[in-house]
Amino acid sequence: MLKRFFSAVSRTVSAVLLVAASAGAVADVRIEQAWLRAVPPVSPSMAGYFVLVNDTDEPVVLTGARAEFAGMAMLHDTSTDGEGRRSMSHLKEVTIPAGESLAFTPGGRHLMLMKMDPVPEAGETPKVCLAFQNHADLCGAFQVRHNEP
Amino acid sequence: MNNKDGFTSAFLFRILVAGAALLLVACSEPAKELPVNTRLGGDFTLTDHNGERFSLSSLNGEVVILFFGYTHCPDICPAVLARVSQVYRNLKEQGEADRVQPVFVTFDPERDTAEHLREYLPWFKADIIGLTGDVPAIQKVAEQYGVVFIKEDGDSGEADFTHSDYIYLLDQQGRVRKVYPADFNIDEVVADVKTLL
Repeated sequence: MLKRFFSAVSRTVSAVLLVAASAGAVADVRIEQAWLRAVPPVSPSMAGYFVLVNDTDEPVVLTGARAEFAGMAMLHDTSTDGEGRRSMSHLKEVTIPAGESLAFTPGGRHLMLMKMDPVPEAGETPKVCLAFQNHADLCGAFQVRHNEP
Repeated sequence: MNNKDGFTSAFLFRILVAGAALLLVACSEPAKELPVNTRLGGDFTLTDHNGERFSLSSLNGEVVILFFGYTHCPDICPAVLARVSQVYRNLKEQGEADRVQPVFVTFDPERDTAEHLREYLPWFKADIIGLTGDVPAIQKVAEQYGVVFIKEDGDSGEADFTHSDYIYLLDQQGRVRKVYPADFNIDEVVADVKTLL
């Protein structure tokens, strides 16, 4: 009787600890500091920025993105040549090494969203999902802002 | 007080006086005059966002913040538009924007028609004049200001441009007085504009 009682208590404590651990758990691959630059409602495109953290022991390969409000989403890189000319190129995949993070920032790597309907407004936090070659999709709320956080 | 204490006090006093004098000189120095850039700039005529012919010289008597870009550009151009707009709004808050005019020239006239610019630009709340035109006319303006733009086929199926993204501060005679990078300091431009009013 006493043994069954302690067993039940033990199971309950274990369950509570598991739930507590889950609630406080931080994902090993996660999106941080995610935001979209606010643009006019007639704008054909908008850019998104974030930091992708990889706390695993393996590299993760980011391959693309999607959002319900955008007909097309791509990963792009803005580069500047020696004469100050900026150009954009499509990133087919981006590798984040094990234990490192990679920032997508204005004037550099960024998420490009096109064919938007509707164009999200400043203050909104639409969901954007990132797709990987070797990890489940990650979705996060991207805050629409006029300026960099 | 012994001799050592007296010497230390006198030394500290002299440092304080010298510091105060330097501060006075720094505060009383007038803002540096911006040099005229004689290699860039000049008048031009394009089509404004109302579909009317527009000459830069019609803005003589106003300080102009001139910049180039295209509305399909997702990363740099909206950031520059936002920053230039912030300069204008800061000046407006200080009651200094009456004779300040931001001017945006597109190098993508195919998509940035007068109608599109008329819908796109007011959102920035900076009274921006949008200018478009035919490609040769825009190319000529770009050359005057040392702007490079190259049309390319983007991977998204839409055209992209490789382009320079400098911002030009023009005085009330339309002369280039300063050129800024795209990530310019907003307070610096506000201060520079005020020297030209």
